[in-house]
Amino acid sequence: MRFLDWAVVVAYLAYVIWDGIRMTKHSGNVEGYFLANRSLPWWAVGLSVMATQLSAITLVGTTGQAYSDGMRFIQFYYGLPLAMVILCITVVPFFYRAKVYTAYEYLERRFDAKTRSLTSFMFLISRGLGVGVVIAAPSVILSIVLGWSEVATIFLIGMSTTFYTMVGGVQAVTWTDVKQMIVIFFGLFVVLFVVVSQFPAQVSFTDGLYLAGTLGKLQTIDTSFDLTQKYTIWSGMIAALFLFLSYFGCDQSQVQRFLTAKSVSEGRTSLLMSAFLKIPMQFLILLVGVLVFVFYQFATPPMVFNAVEAGKISQTAEYSALQNQFQVAHDRRKDAALAFVGDRNDSTRQAYVAADKGFNDARKNAIDFVKTSTGNSGFNDVNYVFPAFVVANMPMGIVGLIIAAIFAAAMSSISAELNALATASTIDFYRRHFHKEGTDTHYVAFGRLATFVWGLFACIVAIYATNLGSLIEVVNKFGSFFYGSLLGVFVLAILVKRARARGAFFGLLFGIFSVWVASHYTNIEFLWFNVVGCLVTVIAGYLISLTVRTEELISSNET
Amino acid sequence: MKQKVEMDTDHPPELPDSWWYKVYVGVIVSLVVVLAALWSFSRYFSS
Repeated sequence: MRFLDWAVVVAYLAYVIWDGIRMTKHSGNVEGYFLANRSLPWWAVGLSVMATQLSAITLVGTTGQAYSDGMRFIQFYYGLPLAMVILCITVVPFFYRAKVYTAYEYLERRFDAKTRSLTSFMFLISRGLGVGVVIAAPSVILSIVLGWSEVATIFLIGMSTTFYTMVGGVQAVTWTDVKQMIVIFFGLFVVLFVVVSQFPAQVSFTDGLYLAGTLGKLQTIDTSFDLTQKYTIWSGMIAALFLFLSYFGCDQSQVQRFLTAKSVSEGRTSLLMSAFLKIPMQFLILLVGVLVFVFYQFATPPMVFNAVEAGKISQTAEYSALQNQFQVAHDRRKDAALAFVGDRNDSTRQAYVAADKGFNDARKNAIDFVKTSTGNSGFNDVNYVFPAFVVANMPMGIVGLIIAAIFAAAMSSISAELNALATASTIDFYRRHFHKEGTDTHYVAFGRLATFVWGLFACIVAIYATNLGSLIEVVNKFGSFFYGSLLGVFVLAILVKRARARGAFFGLLFGIFSVWVASHYTNIEFLWFNVVGCLVTVIAGYLISLTVRTEELISSNET
Repeated sequence: MKQKVEMDTDHPPELPDSWWYKVYVGVIVSLVVVLAALWSFSRYFSS
């Protein structure tokens, strides 16, 4: 990083923190601090919804995933527009008109306090751990760029975001999200143009797409119905639909976004904004990863993208031998790629595919060597691809812009999630169980304290999360363990009239147990856990509700 | 005689459900178009 890059990053950080802090004046009462007095316009809420979901993991992990696995991951988002339509019809008007602060607050009105507390507690645990993973991703980048320890970078990102979220509340979260989305989009377009401009003179953008397409990197629809396959059109349209219904409809970090809108109509519009923009945006991010892959057809990529792990063994004779094999394989593939670009026919295509296989074998040998030499069997350098590329190949100033965009993506998610964690802690636990008659000032102060504590907790989790493989999958796996069951409870609450508190509570426990069983005793991919958890919760909850006799209902209503 | 209607700009009036159903149909049609476009994109550059 050079001076101009540093200037861009520091200017971005200073502006965002200042922008967040100046929202303090709008955050004096409980509704202002947690819900912005339900006064925000749809476009700001919509950008905040997208920014909350688009974390640094999306930028760093997804581009790395596109580099190694192509665009298959986009199928994960195919169910999102359908989920948004369903939510606009059901929960948006429901929660908004109920005037609740948290989604779980509604469950006490419909069922009982213990169902509310259990669901809110599940949210706190899963989201608290999730924020840790969200902080871990950009800290990896900074540790590479600065040569600092990951612990230092984790606390720099985590605590700076915690600070402005703590002070400014949901207003700070939303309005900084808007600016952060602008930085992210701008950064993405710039990196796209710069990558393509660095292709060799005889290779055009279209040639690059042909190269990627030939190696299967542009596959966006896989119609095979296989529950053990991670990304197919079916897992996206069915399993991910359940995940999105739960994430946007039952997760406080997203529900809180549309509760800040001016009206039901503005809340709906904000969600539909994601329905229209999410797939194109994800396509753009994956395309960047694919173009980085194309770039490295001609420039020699690092044999191992994680420079820290590679540095531990780079002086050994075996590593040098592997490096030589890798260079030879790369040169062969480069020549084959240029031949294919010069004349696209079956012969050059087969030669290129064969050369790519040889290259992949050489890289796999290197990764295996890192695993055995360092004793780290879970070693995975997917998350290091994009940052390593940016630092080594982007011009001065652009490196700073991309780093700022990654910061923006991280901070926008972290801030919204910390704010939601603080809201659930304050409203669902502190105000409900421990201090029912406090003043607005008291609850806002507690909300600020809760934000700080959750920020600290997330930083500690992040320290342990940096070695968990592809970080975006880690976050989705976290979610899939609880989300299906959580969705099941809300389905019982909203759609099943006969559902009772006992059924909802024990149905939820059955749902979580069923996901645990599915994860331990089957090979189905984690996205399908959402379907399993939801269905088991609804069926078990309904059946248990049937055991509640009418007399019990009458007596409970009378008391 | 026209009556002057005061607009509440902080809380604008809700749009009717019939309007929203047209929007939902638009979202689903857009999704189908996007999936078709992505499928064509993949096929075109893989062939």
